[in-house]
This record gives sequence, C-alpha cells and structure tokens, in this order.
Amino acid sequence: MCLAVPTMLTEKREDHGTVELAGVSREVSLLLVPEAQVGDYLLVHAGYGIAVLDQGEAQRTLSLLNEIASASLDT
Amino acid sequence: MAQKVMIEPVTRIEGHAKVSIILGDDGRVERARLHVNEFRGFEQFCRGRMFFEMPQITPRICGICPVSHHLAAAKAADAIIGVTPTHTASLLRELMHMGQVVQSHSMHFFELAGPDLLLGFDADPAKRNVVGLIEQQPEIALKGVMLRKFGQSIIAALGQKRVHPEFAVAGGVNSALTIEARDTIRRDLAARIEDAQAGIAIAKAWLNEHQDYADTFASFPCGYLGTVAEDGTLDLYQGKLRLIDCYGNRLEEFDPADYLDYIGERVEDWTYLKFPYYLKLGWPGGVYRVGPLARLNMCSGIATPLAHEEWRQWQQVNGGKPVQGTLYYHWARMVETLYALERTAQILEDPDVMSNDLYVPSDQITRRGVGCLEAPRGTLIHDYRTDPDGKLIDVNLIIATGHNNWAMSRSVEEVAKAYVDGTRLTEGMLNRVEAAIRAHDPCLSCSTHAVGQMPLEVTLLRGDGEVVERVVRG
Repeated sequence: MCLAVPTMLTEKREDHGTVELAGVSREVSLLLVPEAQVGDYLLVHAGYGIAVLDQGEAQRTLSLLNEIASASLDT
Repeated sequence: MAQKVMIEPVTRIEGHAKVSIILGDDGRVERARLHVNEFRGFEQFCRGRMFFEMPQITPRICGICPVSHHLAAAKAADAIIGVTPTHTASLLRELMHMGQVVQSHSMHFFELAGPDLLLGFDADPAKRNVVGLIEQQPEIALKGVMLRKFGQSIIAALGQKRVHPEFAVAGGVNSALTIEARDTIRRDLAARIEDAQAGIAIAKAWLNEHQDYADTFASFPCGYLGTVAEDGTLDLYQGKLRLIDCYGNRLEEFDPADYLDYIGERVEDWTYLKFPYYLKLGWPGGVYRVGPLARLNMCSGIATPLAHEEWRQWQQVNGGKPVQGTLYYHWARMVETLYALERTAQILEDPDVMSNDLYVPSDQITRRGVGCLEAPRGTLIHDYRTDPDGKLIDVNLIIATGHNNWAMSRSVEEVAKAYVDGTRLTEGMLNRVEAAIRAHDPCLSCSTHAVGQMPLEVTLLRGDGEVVERVVRG
C-alpha cells in the first residue's frame, strides 16, 4: 500500500526545508512547492514536497491514518 | 489469533528499502528479495463503511496518486449502483486522470530518474540528485516543474480542492468544466507537449548511448499487463485488460470485472505485499509487470499521432517483441506523458465535454463493484462487495506496486548477479539496486523520503542464513 503522510514544514531555506511528524524530521526539496510556508502541511514523495495541504485537510488525513493505525486487525 | 497491529503514520516516513541477497553453495548470487513491510490492514479498515465514501477515503491513504484511487473507487461505486456514467462524466474523469499521469510521470522522470541518467550511476551521491541536476542543467529540471504544475492545474480545475479531489461520485461527477478552465488548459498544451518531447529526446539519447547497458540491466522475461481500448490501442482510463507473454503473444483479453478468473495473489512469509500472477500459468510462471514499460509492450498502438510515432520506434527496439530492460521504463514514461497531453487536447475538443449531463441517479445496490484503470505506475483494481444497504463487507485493492512486486525483487536479483562478486557490497552496486527498484516507481515508504537517495538496507546471506555482510545507507 502506498502512502503520503502530511508532515509539517518547520524550516525553509530557499528551495529546501525541514518537515516534521511526531518528532521525526526530514530534509525535503521544495522545488515543486515553492509556495510552501513554515507551518504548512506537506505531502512528501521521494524527498520532494509534492503538495501543500490546508490545516483542515491535513488533520482529516492524519486522524484517518491514526484511526487505521489503532484499529484491531486480524493478522 | 487476533493481534493488535500498531503502525503509526510516522513509520511511513521512516524505513529503508530492505533487500536480501542470497548466495548459493557456489558462492554466487542465487536470488534476491525486496521486503515490503508497509502497513497493511487498510482493506479491513474499510469494512463496515458505506461504499460511496471510498472515493474520498482511498485518496487520503494513497496520497501519491490520489486521483487514480479517487477514480478507481468511483468506478467501483458506479458498478455497485448499476450505472454507466454519461459520456461527459467519463470524459471529465479521464481528463482529470490525464492530469495525474502528466504530473506523476514528469516528476518521476525529471526529478528522480533524471539525475541517475544525466549525472551517471557512479556520480558522487551528494550530487546525484536534482540539486546536482539543477546546477548542471537547470533548463531540464525546469521542464519537470512546468509539466508537473500543468498536470496539477488540470486536477485543480476539476477537483476544486487541489489535493484530495471531491469530484467523482457514484454515477458520475459533481461539477462541469468551465470555459475558463478549458481555455487555460488549452493555452499551455503546446508548450507542455514540447517539454514532454524534450524528455523523450533525453531518454532516447541516453538509451542509445548506453544501449548494451540498458539491454542487460535488470532485463528478464515476464508477462505484461495493461488496458486497451476496443481497437487495441493504449487506454489509461477504461477498456479491457490485456495480458501478453514475454514473446508478445496475447494470453488473454478480459473485462476487468472478471479479474479473479485470471489473476491470483500469492502470499510469501518474508514480505507483506502480495504477488499477483496469471492463474493459468501458475506461480511463478505467470508473473508479469505493469506500468509504462508493460503498457507500451502490450498495446497495438497509440491513438494520438505523436505518441504513436514514438511507439513505432519502441517496437523496433527488440524486433517487435516486448522490451525487457528495466531502464526502458523511463522512455515509456515520457511517451505516455506525451500521450496524456495529446489525449487532453482530444478530450477538450469533444463536443460533449462542456455539457452539464454529469450524473445518472440510481437507487439500486448490486452489491459488487470492480473499478479498474491504469494509474501512472500501472493497473489499479478496486473490488468492493457490500450488503443490501451498501455497507462494505469486503474490499480488495490490487495496486501497481503489488503487480510489480515480483519484478522488483527480480530486478534486484539481476543487478546483484551482475555486480556482486560474492563477498562485497559496493557503493556502485547499491546505486544500481536503487535504480532498478526506482525504475518501477514504487509507492513504498522507502521511496517517499530522502532527496536523491533511497535509504537502503542490503543484507548478503549464505544459503544457510548466515549473514556475510550488511550495509545500511541513508
């Protein structure tokens, strides 16, 4: 299953930045999302920010992912 | 036994591509495995929800190509309510899909594959990324940015909300194309077609110059699966699934709704991701690939003139037989980008595209629906079963990365056989393992982070399981 988890942009340096989720930070390229601002949520693929999500969108996705993560599953 | 599986979203931005290379008694590479330990259980999670929620839920899970899942889910939902969407609704969905294809393919080619091809596999890893590419050939990286933006603008024009479209619904779509949106898309088409052609030229020049390499790098026989229109030409949105063998013989052509009669899913204990295969040839004889390489191999032509001309050249690579070299994916990806742009122009010229005949209502519940299309990475199948009220009781998704699961391991194996001398894992070999996996453009967490370099964990093992060497990179 593929994946794209919203991560928050915490630092921006020209076309590079740092995103963070639950204490894990990653360097990403902002080449494809030059409009991204610190505090925005980004979808990241292969080290590139590929989309900027608004707060509501990001929260809806994160809560859905958390719901899945904590579901009891038969293995 | 029911076991609680906790997989936090954060694990999906971590993780390495885990590869095992297993040596035979003679000390030579015998086989290789790509372990996929992604989260699973999404199908179970969907049970109990209403079928019409799926076009909204699935794009949130699979955010790399949200439109593909959005549309496959909507197509499955059409079938559940027993409706064939109007011509206008189909055109608009396909238009959105073309936006996704352009966006996804061009990003892969210019931003991910480009540095490998243009800067070389043995280039300094610190430079073998888009930053290095921008320094050396800024105009090429820019074409990727422009194409991606263009694809995104089509999705935005139809989907209102850019990232997670709420556009396709069971029975059709919920908004018409505006004249302004149509004209904006049209205005930039010619320039983007030139960008795609520039990408094709880069891919072809590279393959030409490195032909021996490309013909042997991760090259192996297998079947190829993709979707064709009535006349056998490539179709990325709808049609029949066609499966060919490694010689190009047609094995099957079938309605995607009947996929269970043709495709089985093998489970192995060393990876979470299942292995689809062609039932009649069994496992592992019935393995096949999907995606751009597979599609150009299995179709009988392309219904747009510029892309068709490229396809004719493609056919000559291996004397009319399927092209096996994994690096040819890159050329195929750009030919499909060109097709998607030309197809966008065709759709916008269709007299029905501006109509308001968007939706067919229904109060039926047929209790089963299969939605299938060609996502950028390959064939995507959503299969839902519901109770009489439309509540989901079973969900099966086969994603492109799943169809290519066997091929990715096999590609690594081919690379390992060529570049592992039995005891050492070199940096150049790791770069090539990465390139072999990445050519399939998998949507795995290992491919979702780290600019320019896929985090890799490669273990070299003897047949008895003893570890000879383990290298972790990234």
